[in-house]
This record gives sequence, structure tokens and C-alpha cells, in this order.
Amino acid sequence: MQVEEPKHIINQLAVLVRTGMIHSTENVAVMKAIDRFIHLMRPYFEESDPLRIDLIGEFFYLNESRVRYPLEYLLNFDYLSREFRRRQLGTVKFSSQVSGADVKEFIKAFIRAGYSNTPFEALEAALEGVDSIQLERLKHVQEEEGIDKRRIVKKTYFNAVSFTKGVMNKLKAGEKVSIKKAKRVVESMVDLILEEEPLLLGMTAIKEYDDYTYHHSVNVSILSIAIGQKIGLHRRALTELGLVALFHDIGKMEIPKEILNKPTAFTEEEWEIVRRHPYWGARTILKLKGLDRAAILGAIVAFEHHMHYDHSGYPKVRELRNIDFYTRIVSIADQYDAMTSSRVYARVPLPPDKALSVMMERAGTQIDPVLFKFFVNMVGVYPVGSLVLLDTKEMGLVYECNPLFADRPRVMIIVDSRGHKIDGYIVDLTEKDESGRYVRTIVKTLDPNKYKINLAEYLL
Amino acid sequence: MVLTEELKGFINTLVKAKKNIRLYPENNPMYQKTLNDVYRHLSDLLHYVDEISLQFKQFEILYDGEVIYRNEDKEESLALFFFKDGVRELTFLRGIPIEEVEDFLRIISTDFERQMVDDDVVTLMWERDFQFIKYVVDDTILVEDETYEEEAVKQVKEAVSDADIMKAYEEAFGLEKTEEVTIVPLTNDDIQSIVQQIEEEEEDRDKSQKLVYLLFEMLTYARGRSEYEEIINLIKEAIRYAVNRGNLETVIYTIKKIETAIKDRTYNEEVNTLLKGVQYFINSNVIISLLGDVLEAGAEFEEEVLEELAELLSKEAIPHMIKVLGELQNISSRKAIIRMLILLGRKDISLLAKGLSDRRWYVVRNIIYIMRQIRDPKGTEYIIPLLRHPDRRVKKEAIIALGELGVSNAVNLLKDALRDGDESVRITAVRAISQLASPLSKKVIMESIKSKDFRERDFQEKKEFFKALARWPDEETIDYFVGLLKKRSFFRRSRLEEMKAAAAYALGIIGCSDALEILNKLRNSKNPLLKENIEFAIARIRDAGGRA
Repeated sequence: MQVEEPKHIINQLAVLVRTGMIHSTENVAVMKAIDRFIHLMRPYFEESDPLRIDLIGEFFYLNESRVRYPLEYLLNFDYLSREFRRRQLGTVKFSSQVSGADVKEFIKAFIRAGYSNTPFEALEAALEGVDSIQLERLKHVQEEEGIDKRRIVKKTYFNAVSFTKGVMNKLKAGEKVSIKKAKRVVESMVDLILEEEPLLLGMTAIKEYDDYTYHHSVNVSILSIAIGQKIGLHRRALTELGLVALFHDIGKMEIPKEILNKPTAFTEEEWEIVRRHPYWGARTILKLKGLDRAAILGAIVAFEHHMHYDHSGYPKVRELRNIDFYTRIVSIADQYDAMTSSRVYARVPLPPDKALSVMMERAGTQIDPVLFKFFVNMVGVYPVGSLVLLDTKEMGLVYECNPLFADRPRVMIIVDSRGHKIDGYIVDLTEKDESGRYVRTIVKTLDPNKYKINLAEYLL
Repeated sequence: MVLTEELKGFINTLVKAKKNIRLYPENNPMYQKTLNDVYRHLSDLLHYVDEISLQFKQFEILYDGEVIYRNEDKEESLALFFFKDGVRELTFLRGIPIEEVEDFLRIISTDFERQMVDDDVVTLMWERDFQFIKYVVDDTILVEDETYEEEAVKQVKEAVSDADIMKAYEEAFGLEKTEEVTIVPLTNDDIQSIVQQIEEEEEDRDKSQKLVYLLFEMLTYARGRSEYEEIINLIKEAIRYAVNRGNLETVIYTIKKIETAIKDRTYNEEVNTLLKGVQYFINSNVIISLLGDVLEAGAEFEEEVLEELAELLSKEAIPHMIKVLGELQNISSRKAIIRMLILLGRKDISLLAKGLSDRRWYVVRNIIYIMRQIRDPKGTEYIIPLLRHPDRRVKKEAIIALGELGVSNAVNLLKDALRDGDESVRITAVRAISQLASPLSKKVIMESIKSKDFRERDFQEKKEFFKALARWPDEETIDYFVGLLKKRSFFRRSRLEEMKAAAAYALGIIGCSDALEILNKLRNSKNPLLKENIEFAIARIRDAGGRA
């Protein structure tokens, strides 16, 4: 019997739930979807009985192996993940004895549980007599495990920054740099994006570093990889993207320090020099080593990253060609990180949510509108680092975005509802009370920079 | 204990495989044997345990704390090979498929020192994303500055130490309610458009055309001779890179870009001069030879692309292309070069004609063929001497060419070939003369047929000559054929009957109904050859409307 890829099973379960929501479970379409679902599961029973589907964090796992997030099924995966969460459902185990009637019962119960205030309990009760299907409640990631992971994330992040600093200094001194090492650095970031995206994205939200250029390069690389992951690029492409993003600003090395570090506004002559950095960047990359795809992509992105989607921006070109796909990704990451960072020539950064608003206005003109949609879906309406006031009169910093509920991130509370400053604990804004209402909702956003409030205090 | 001994054997198999896989091509039996040996060895071991974890020290490999391999030779040590790239542990899991073993062996056989690769063993294993081979890597080799993290954290914490949280809290209540950024949901169209762009990105793997575009834009921003030269050299590199990857569209794009830039005076004179150097480079032996190598390696190009490139190349490329033509072994790559030379050769027939003095007969024949296709009468002066070429294949091609090119004195030039010592040359010549269709052609053919020795020639040749004469279906010709059919002889009868058979065949081609009477008379001939050709002639005449 042919074993279909796990992604098809997850997708079919999503199709089944969707179809069940539209039609009665007696409908032919639902029956067909059930048959297909069982057909897809059959070969897996030979290896493992029962077949286990888990939702852990943002990802589905089939028999404990993570299912790759395929772009063609993106909407269905997101949908199913949301519906599992709504019902507090973390695991479903189907035994080889499962029949079409059992799956039908499951679908019926699953749909009904969506209307219950205690959905998981309702689901469990409805399936009490169905032995071939077992359920487990959604688990939250263990805090201890989280601390360990955070340490790895921090280490990876600072390694990358330190490496970038080293590379740029070597290039400046005319020394050779190792692309192998750069690849290793980026690959470790790709691994973390695939496994611990929220934590690594959190690191990019910490600003106020002295070494802006190096942190910015790494942040842009991380954000680009995260967009790339969201749109379904495979691992090797993610490395390519991360590499070119890491070196997008390499041309800035050529800008004299006195201009780069000038605290006041640039003169027109100084701007002229600053606007040459994309050209210098492309030259540097092309001289770095022999021509290959990575070098070419790097040069293209370095040259184009200030050229906008509508060809405004700089450098001006004689022949108008589409801005490269990777450039359009890097450009979004670059703009966002630059806007939310304090730079020498723009001391006051924008709060993350304001930066998103500004970028929203630019979507379709300066920014690729479709890629921007993916970006907003990734960082959420309130990106990590946003300072928010909740309807409970608690104040906190957005700590992790929730890709499924863009306006309901995880928030680190730093002032409690009685107005007392506290050490910080994390709340999930998707949490509901017994009557099914959200426990907390964001009502206001503040500029964290104005009050020098930074995630660094809590994340590092 | 037993397992430890077995593992020692396995490591030895791996060490051998590391060399063999590098040495032998995939289809070599030794390659297959090596792969199978490793796979079998590993599968046998994994029969006893679920997984095998090997730990790496600088010169040692350990299993379960016990040293199972030790080699301090920096070139040879398998332990050092993994250790230097940071691999500290390697685990093989039960169920590993042979494909994964093969990919693993390919990775460890990569000669990282000699091959210019931007990878090490870790990046390659990472890209391959093994499902049954896990590894632990020590990334400290990547750390540039061990104190960086500590210092950066300290610095950033100091920067936010005077955070005014309570002020923010107090002021928050006086603020307007936040307007949300509305999330526009992703639609299926959005996803399709991204999928399409990712596919396009995959198709445009080499990106050379975009690179050339970029370099031309960079020329605008370059300042001074050294920067111009640097970018011009990169354009040359990009062309070489593109040809190497079989992307001739990039070469075409570059040539057009240069032509436009020079014509429109896009850049200054200094740049224009350098751009002309690029034109020269494209037409040079470097690029044309590279094209030959790529063709020989099996690259396939669309006909239109080859033709467009040939049109854009300059005549300077002709000698290099002839050289490549002589070197190529593969028939399809030779055909591609010939196709290009047909277009390119028009630009200078005299340059093309230089290939006619090549010592290799097939190159000469190809060049004559190219001249035939070009159809430039100027080519004849170069072809005429080849009627005396020692190789009959060249001679024949020259005869055909002269026949096709329509030179005024072609018949006189070709008539000597009717007496050539080689039958195939004579046949080619009579066809060519016949094709010229001049009164002199007929005369020459008739004379040849009536010559003393003609009767002694093979039937096939006779038939060709008679067929050639049939092009002039006038009274003289028909009378001659009919006269032959009526002829009787007691001596050398078989030769006469061959002549008769050829005459019958020719009358059939003409469709001469007047000849039916004599043909019918001879219908019952006992000579099978004559009978066969008479039957043919009668059938042809009948088909043409004559009565049998």
C-alpha cells in the first residue's frame, strides 16, 4: 500500500472538518472525505498503531515526527491548528480499528464542541463510547524546557552578531572571509526559526545595542528567514536567503565613519555618499569569491535593497526590471528592523505596531503587498516588543506573537491590575474564561522607547 | 564487546568507502560494491541495536566510551575529518535506507581541501536533512569573540536601566484607544502567486542574466578606470559562468546590451572601449571553446537560441567555431555548431573558407555543406579545387555544392568527375550535372553514356546516368533509349541487357507511351533485371495515362 506523505493526512483532516462544518455528516461529500482520510491512514497502521496526531506549539506532528508546513496547504494547516486550539485539543490517536462511523462521530463531536464553553471536556464526553479514537488535551510548553531553549537562542543570536562583526571587520581590512562559517551561522538560525521561531524573533525585538549595523544585519537575516519559512521556502533556500540578508548592508563599510556616526541630519553631499552603499555592497560581494548563485544573489540583494517595489528609492537604474524575489523579502525585514531601531541618524525608533502601520501604507507601492501580508501574519498585529495596556488594567510587553490569532499574542505583564510594578509573568491572550470570553484584550499601545522600556530587561 | 569489534570493522569499511566513492563513477561496479558493503555492514549492526552513536575526538572515534578507531595522520584520519568541522557525535538509526547511506558517503568523500566548495561536512549534512543520521555539532568553532554576548547584554541592560515603567502606566490611561492594524487575510490567489514566484526562482537557478543586468547598472555608478575595469571583468566572468551553465540567453542579452549601450552612448568613451573588449571576449576562443565543451557534455539548446546567438556573434568567432567543429565528437553537438556556422559564415565567406584547408576530411566536408546552405556564389572559388581532394567524401560534397550553387561553367568543371575512378563520385557528379539542366549538361551525360567504357560499369551506375539523361525527354533521348531496347547482340549480352534495363527504367520515368510497344515486346524477357525494369516502366507509363 502506498504511503502518502504525512502532510496529506493533516490536510485531509482539515478538509474533513471544513466539509463537516458546511454539510451534514450524512452528506456524500463528508462521507467521501472520511473514506479518503481512513485510506490515507491505513498504511501508517502497519508501522504504528495507533496513529498519533499532535499539535505542539505551531506545528503538527504525525507519530511524533514534525509535519512540514507546506505552502499549498497553508490555509488548511492554519485552520486546523486554530480549530484544535479552540477546543483545547492537543492529540488525537486513531487506532487501526477505526471505522468510517467512528470518524463521523469524531467530526460531529468536534463541531459541536466548538460551541461549548468547555470544548475539550465536551469533545471527550461525546467520544466516550468510541474506543478507536483517543484524545489528549493541548499541552503548554514546559517552562524549564523554555529556559534552556532561550539560552540556546541567545547563544545563536549573539554568535551570529559577533560573527557578522568579525566578517565586516575582516573585509574592511582586506582579509579573506569564510563563507563556510557564514553558512553554518545562518543554518543554525534557520534551525531555530524552524523550531523556536517566536523566541528568535523575540531576540530581534531587543534594540539599543551599540553595534547597530551588526545587530541589524542579523535581525534582517532572522526576519527574512522567518518570512521565507512562512512562504514555504525549503531549507537550502532559507539558508541562501539568510546569507544574502546577512550581507545586505555590507556596502556600509565603505561609508566614512564620520558620516555613518553623524548625530545630525545628513547634508545632500553626505546623502549622495550614503546612497552609494548598495553599489559598494554588490561590488564587495562579487569580489569576495568566484561567481556562484550565493554570490550573485548576495550582490543583487545588496544592490536592490533600497529600491522599492514600485522602483522608487535608490539606486536609480536605467533598465527597469522586477525587483528580485529575495530582495523584496529582505527589504521588508530591513525596513521593519530599521524603523524599530534607534540609529545614529534617526535616534527615535518607532514602536513596532506603529512601524507596521507605516509599512501597511507602503504596501503595494514601496513594499510587495503579498509578501507584506505574510509578514504581518508572522509578526502579528502587535509585534514582539510592543508595550500594551490590557482591559484588565495590566500593562505588559508583547513577548511572543501568535500566528493563528494575530491580535492575541503572549504578553509579559510588567505592571499588574492594581498598578504595581512586578517582575513579569507571561499571559496568553487567547485564554478564555468560563463564559467563553477572552480574559484579556489589548486596548492601548504605548511607545516603549519613550519610557526606555525594553524587552532586554526580561529576555536577556 | 562483539559489537565493538564489529564497529571497528565498520569504520574500516567507511574509511575505504571514503576513498572509493571519490575515485569511481556511480556506474562503476566498484562504486556499487562499496556502497553495498557499507549499507550491509551498517544494517547488520543495526539489527542488534536501535541506534549507533559514535563520538569524535581529534584523532579518535569512540563507541560507548571505548576507542574503536585511532589515526593521527592529518590527511587520512576519519576522526579528524569530522572533528575539525565541529562534529562531536554521529548517530545512525535503524531503518536507514540505502539512498541515505549513499548521500552520506558522497558527503564524506568530498575533497574539501581541493574542491572550491563553500561547504563543510556539517553544511552538507544539514542541507541533506538526513532522517536516519543525527549529529551533534560543537559550534564554538564559529564563535569569533567569546566575550561578545556578555558585553552586549551588559551594554543593552545599562541602556534601559532607567526605564520609567510607572510613568508609562500612568500616561497609558490618558491615551486614545489603539487603532488596530487590520490584517488582510491571505487568499488562495496570494498563495498561488507566491508559489509561482518560488517556482520561477527555482527555474532561474543561475541568475546570470540578472547579474549582467546588475553589472551594467553598476557601471553607471562606477568611478574611474579601475572600477570600470573591475566591473567589465565581472561581466566577462558572468558570461563565462552563463555559458558554463548552458545559459546562452544571458550571452545574447549581454551582446544586445553592449550594442545598445555603444549605440546610445549610455556610458563614456572609456567604458565604451572596455565594452568593445567584452564583445571581443564573447567572440574569442575562450567562450567559443567553452560552448563546445558544454555542447559536448550533452547540453541541449533550443534551435532559436543557437540561431539568435549565431546572428549576434561577429565574424571573428568563425575560426574558433571551425576549430571547435573539428574537436567535437558528439554528432548532435557538431550539428549545433554547423547550424550556427551556416548563419555566422555568411558574415565572411573567406574566413569560413579557411576551414577548407583543415587536415580532417570531415571538417572540410562540413564547411562545404555549410557553404551549400549559405548559397553564396562566392563560395564556389574555394570549392572548385576540392574536386581534386584526395578524400572521395569531400569530393562528392564539393560536386553537390557546385551543382547547387549554379556556377556558369559548372558543367565543364564537373564533367571530369564523370570519369573519376570512384563510382560513387561519378554518380554524384552525374546527378549534379543533371540538376544544372543546361543543354551542355545533356551533351556531357550523353557523351559519357556513349563512351566506350560505359557499358562495363555496374548496373546501378548505368541506371543513375540514364535517369539523369531522362531529364531531357526529347526525341533524341527517347530515340536513343528505344534504339537500345531494339538492339541485339550475341556477344557480351549481359552488359547489353543491363543497358536495356536502364533504358527501360528511364523511359518509365519519362512516361513515354510511344515506347510501350517495344516494352511490351520485351516483357517476357528471360533476364530478370530487364524484365523487372520493363514492368516498372510499363506501370509508370500506365499511371501517367499511357496505355499498356
